[in-house]
Amino acid sequence: MTASCPYSPLARGGLCFFTSIVVSLCASLTALAAHPPELTGRIVDQADIIPAATRSTIEPKLADLETKSGIQLVVATVNSLDGEEIEPYANELFRSWKLGEKTKNNGVLLLVAPKEKRVRIEVGYGLEGTLTDALSTVIISNAIAPRFKVGDFGGGISRGVDDIISVLTTDASEWQQRPSLRVDDQATRDPLNWLIVAGIIALVTLLIVSPGFRWFFLNVALNILLNSGGSRGGGFSNRGGFSGRGGSSGGGGASGRW
Amino acid sequence: MPNIISRTCFALTIIGLSFALASCGYNTIPTLQEQAKARWSDVQNQYQRRADLIPNLVSTVQGYAAQEKSVLTGVVEARAKATQIKVDASDLTDPDKIKAFQDAQAQLTGALGRLLAVSENYPELKSNANFMALQSQLEGTENRIAVARRDYIDAVRAFNTALRTLPTIIWAKTAFAGEKPMAEFTANEGAQTPPQVKF
Repeated sequence: MTASCPYSPLARGGLCFFTSIVVSLCASLTALAAHPPELTGRIVDQADIIPAATRSTIEPKLADLETKSGIQLVVATVNSLDGEEIEPYANELFRSWKLGEKTKNNGVLLLVAPKEKRVRIEVGYGLEGTLTDALSTVIISNAIAPRFKVGDFGGGISRGVDDIISVLTTDASEWQQRPSLRVDDQATRDPLNWLIVAGIIALVTLLIVSPGFRWFFLNVALNILLNSGGSRGGGFSNRGGFSGRGGSSGGGGASGRW
Repeated sequence: MPNIISRTCFALTIIGLSFALASCGYNTIPTLQEQAKARWSDVQNQYQRRADLIPNLVSTVQGYAAQEKSVLTGVVEARAKATQIKVDASDLTDPDKIKAFQDAQAQLTGALGRLLAVSENYPELKSNANFMALQSQLEGTENRIAVARRDYIDAVRAFNTALRTLPTIIWAKTAFAGEKPMAEFTANEGAQTPPQVKF
């Protein structure tokens, strides 16, 4: 065993020590650096302030909202904002979770940072006209902040969610438009596929027919493979059945403190 | 007969070439340029939105705090100056124009900050529903401006990087030889943080 190893036991011990230091350093660095929570469900309670009872009453409401209107409303609590203001933090979190549908940007994020005593309703582009900044402010200052002030996080979040949902669902026209939009979406996707198929057929025929093109194409194809190798990664992982659907936000909504 | 074959061959080569060009990064530069221009129009829209809120805000404050004349005229003047300066998408390569735009907007941000600061002294104004709504809209707009600016800076960075790095630099030096790098905002932290409004 030792004979096959090129290093002396002492050197191996040193190497082991060194790597363990590096590993633990890296681990502590990542723990220190911004650690935004993962989107594990419609309620992401990293700060652990939402009582189980509240959770079980809110969760079906959030799911119901999405099945009826397509709107993704997510409640998140975080341990810390990592020294950032809540506005950029909420926007980054919203964008990394991609809340709401891609074409409609109809997502809403209710973010609570109990350590900094900050709360924010971040509204996706598509809902800025419905859940306006002024309405978000009213919800925060009337429904959420007074309850948070006395330590009632469950009650504040539950009332806040109720108010947000009632604001969002008063616009009834949104609900009826949904099925038609989906049909349009599929219709526009078909011709594009046919174009790609036609292009591939043309390419293959050319490759067979013309040796000059074959030479050219092989060189180009090699180039493409070499250049785009790095950018190809980043597969889309979808755990736990809930994930954002490509929506984005431009900083709509409001924040408050308590 | 062979004429037709060579013609179809030619046409197919063109199709194949355009596919190959597209995947070679020929499209990258114009795409990134258009994205940056679109992000710029977002920036301008959000600043415009802020300017649109101001007349209403000024008249509301006037109703309660007419004696704060210098602060109010400061806002009105700064707004007039800021709305005069428009930067077209074609002027984005000119750092001076961007700087003039940014300075005028920063001045308006400062004047607005002063207005909100003095309004703290008027409890009746502070509890006015109209004023509260305007305040939250203004706060929201400042936040949207911050987001739009950040997006613009990112888009410009992507475009400028494409002009200088392989493989897109090949196209930047040939087909798009006229394209110059776009100007970024000089990060002005003071102007970027929205005025803090406490309730």
